Amino acid sequence: MTATQVQTSTMKPTNPWAKRNKARTRDVVIASLLPGILAVVFFFVGTALGATIDPAVLLIIGFLPAQLLAAFLVGRKYYGRHGREDALLIVVTIFLSTFVMVLLLSVLWSVISAGALALRPSFILQNSHYISGTTSLEYGGAGHAILGTVMAVAITTILTVPLGFGIAVYLTETGGKARGVIRTLIQAMSGLPSVVSGLFIYSILVLQGWQPSGFTGSLALLPLMLPTVSRVSEEALRLVPVDLRNGALALGSPTWQAFAKVVFPAARSGLLTAVLLGVARIVGETAPLVLTTTYNNDTNLNPFNGPMAMLPTFIFGYIRNMYDTSIQRGWGGCLVIMILVGVLFVGARVANRKKK
Amino acid sequence: MSPQGETKIPAKRQLVTKPSRTADKVFFGLTSVAANFSIVLILLILGFLLYQAWPAFQSQGFSFFSGETWDSSATPQIFQIGPMLWGSVLVALLGMVIALPLAISLAYFIEFMAAKKIAAVATTLVDLLAAIPSIVIGLWGFAVFGPVAQHWASLLHDYLGWIPYVFYHEGANYGGSPFIAGLVVSVMIVPIITSVTREIFSQMDRDVVNASIALGAGRAATFRKVILPTASGGIVGGALLGLGRALGETIAIFFVLNLVFHINFFQVINGEGGTVASMIVSKFGEADASERSALMASGIVLFVLTLLISALSSYIVKKAQPWRTN
Amino acid sequence: MVETLLTESNAASHLEARGVHVWFGQRQVLQDVNLVFPSNQVTALIGPSGCGKSTFIRTLNRMHELIPGAGFAGQILLDGKDIYEDGTDAVDVRLRVGMVFQKPNPFPTMSIRENVLAGLRLTGKKNPNMDELVETSLRRASIWNEVKDRLNDPALSLSGGQQQRLCIARSLAMDPAVLLMDEPCSALDPGSTRRVEETIEELADQMTIVIVTHNMQQAQRVSHQTAFFLSEDGNPGGVVEFGTTEQVFNQPVDPRTNDYVNGHFG
Repeated sequence: MTATQVQTSTMKPTNPWAKRNKARTRDVVIASLLPGILAVVFFFVGTALGATIDPAVLLIIGFLPAQLLAAFLVGRKYYGRHGREDALLIVVTIFLSTFVMVLLLSVLWSVISAGALALRPSFILQNSHYISGTTSLEYGGAGHAILGTVMAVAITTILTVPLGFGIAVYLTETGGKARGVIRTLIQAMSGLPSVVSGLFIYSILVLQGWQPSGFTGSLALLPLMLPTVSRVSEEALRLVPVDLRNGALALGSPTWQAFAKVVFPAARSGLLTAVLLGVARIVGETAPLVLTTTYNNDTNLNPFNGPMAMLPTFIFGYIRNMYDTSIQRGWGGCLVIMILVGVLFVGARVANRKKK
Repeated sequence: MSPQGETKIPAKRQLVTKPSRTADKVFFGLTSVAANFSIVLILLILGFLLYQAWPAFQSQGFSFFSGETWDSSATPQIFQIGPMLWGSVLVALLGMVIALPLAISLAYFIEFMAAKKIAAVATTLVDLLAAIPSIVIGLWGFAVFGPVAQHWASLLHDYLGWIPYVFYHEGANYGGSPFIAGLVVSVMIVPIITSVTREIFSQMDRDVVNASIALGAGRAATFRKVILPTASGGIVGGALLGLGRALGETIAIFFVLNLVFHINFFQVINGEGGTVASMIVSKFGEADASERSALMASGIVLFVLTLLISALSSYIVKKAQPWRTN
Repeated sequence: MVETLLTESNAASHLEARGVHVWFGQRQVLQDVNLVFPSNQVTALIGPSGCGKSTFIRTLNRMHELIPGAGFAGQILLDGKDIYEDGTDAVDVRLRVGMVFQKPNPFPTMSIRENVLAGLRLTGKKNPNMDELVETSLRRASIWNEVKDRLNDPALSLSGGQQQRLCIARSLAMDPAVLLMDEPCSALDPGSTRRVEETIEELADQMTIVIVTHNMQQAQRVSHQTAFFLSEDGNPGGVVEFGTTEQVFNQPVDPRTNDYVNGHFG
């Protein structure tokens, strides 16, 4: 036992196929780092000497060509003809990927850093009674809007989920004849511009004499949530093996029992994912609410009557005020929405992972 | 037992799953009610909008689409959405042109270059970013990114201003231009296109890719000759999905684009523009009955436009990846 | 011993296929199949892959129609009554004609015990003596001794062979008059296969059994009569030879049968 251990520890893996080429490693490292270092040095030295150097210009006409040239040379030297093409592809890919990730992370970071300044207990707990665009952030908050969003989204969810599940079951379980048409329509509905959904509810309800309320907002969100819920739950149901359905049916089970007692339990986490992604889709939807609800500085606990604030309309209103403090409140609202979306998203991931 | 071909084949009966028990009939009935609801909903949306929009279509005629004037105080009132219609197309196209290479790069990076862990993190992040509400992007575009993009626009003007027309700009303020709106929209749709493209890359036959590399083709050649042709249909489908989203984008553009009723063809850094969706939101609050009708008409035009894009995209995806539908 | 436990007991049934033709969409896969399955007999369906024997067995309890585009012509007589007659409920047919599939498919969200009782739960049948039904069914499927101490464990904790016998027990709990088995041992190890075969022999006293198998020895061991299916050159499949197992394997009439049972092709 010991002998073997000693032997293994003294044995060195030999990889005759590996090209151990120190010069190549050195050149690749230099080619990857040098242009960046030069650019940074150039920027600081130049600035110190009193020149105005624009980082964006330096990046595009200084660093990028230098990096491309370095990669090109090293690629050609060690890998020949296809080496220089590959090197350019790698540089371009990394450059563009970095650029887009920086943009996307900038969105997240802005929301977190600017929103954190507004976020405090009173922001969650209080409403905006007596609050104007210039009132200090110590007073008032988005509590009423959070409540409004929770209630309106809950109503939309209660209405949409049975419909979405019904459509998914129709598509996967009943062998219905109109499956192709329904799938196409759901696809079309997922492209429905949110503002058009708002116009629709306005024309069919508000113009017919309904007062705008939280409920009209909920209805305007329904066509936006429905495609997400039905598409994701269809996928979840489709992941349930056909063998299980057949096993149940072969026992003499009616289709609905086979669904309720075998397919549904097997797809439960996937269906939960569908609901969570559906909610995430609509929780920050603004345009339809701007058209179909009216804003309120006070708390309204009745979604069926009277003006009701929701987070998106809260944010929208404060941004339009254009005062620094009101934009601060907008950032706070955005952070709350992003936290909601993040929680829903993580929930959906966890639910999905449990299944696998 | 009888040899084939000689037996007379009796009439075929088409078998279908039919509910027999009452409970099953109820179950099948409920699901088809839900399914039919989606048909009814689409018809209701088209029908009611058309009904409300009819007066505007009737009073404005064809110049509703082509004219450049929107004046509710004139007699008779004039509602024409030409600049907005073009603006929607311009901003969406700009967004696409910017987003597509970025999204393909990112998807290629995640799928074929990054280490597994980085790829997993990046995938999650991209999916999360696809869920960012447009009002958040709007505020970011207006308060954070706007100044940066204005600076970029001024650089474009300084360095490329010699190109006639396209980089023309008047005044000192670089805000509110289609260029900025296009950038903001591209930030919205990059995650969407990336996640579609990445999925297609991940479904590609790795053996084919590896075989190509084993033949000594190299990364770049493999990308050009194997990956892109195989995935192109799916990528175009994803891009059209993003284009549809960009056309319908409302709030984010509302905050970053000036609304001017004058057709701005390609002066991308000039602060003139507007899109149908953002116009609807900005005009709706103070609109009277006939102006509202015109806004409904604009909405239906927008909807039909996105329907066309969505039909085109599902056609292309079906052509390119038959396994995605059945 | 078993019958007394069940509230209503099906005697073994006589099953007959007359002039059966089967289509998937426009493609005909079976042509003019005529077979008789007398009660308490085990019939083996043999033949190379793609000859339509699995499709045929699915027409016997109307599982075939679950596939979109399924087409059918002919008659399946269960005790003289056509199960494809208008007004016949597929659910009723499946209650009398049970089925065991190629791949074990226990319900993953249920325990072993719940799986055995799944049929009752799914069809809303009542049985006053659940515990006894569970035990009898598991005993009949020769798996009782292995699982009696962990009836509440998830069904997926069992090995593949045990899962398949659990699926047999699940079917038996419904006390079918006919049991269809579609290559029940193809995913099992030799030991489990042997146990399933023993189970089949015992069950033949109580029901009519139809089994699809690729295994010639298995067909000879368990069946009383054998039908050889063949589909040639892309033509629809059909029965080439049908008779007692003894006759089909030892004195086949058709040379193609001879080639197949002696392992010359397929």
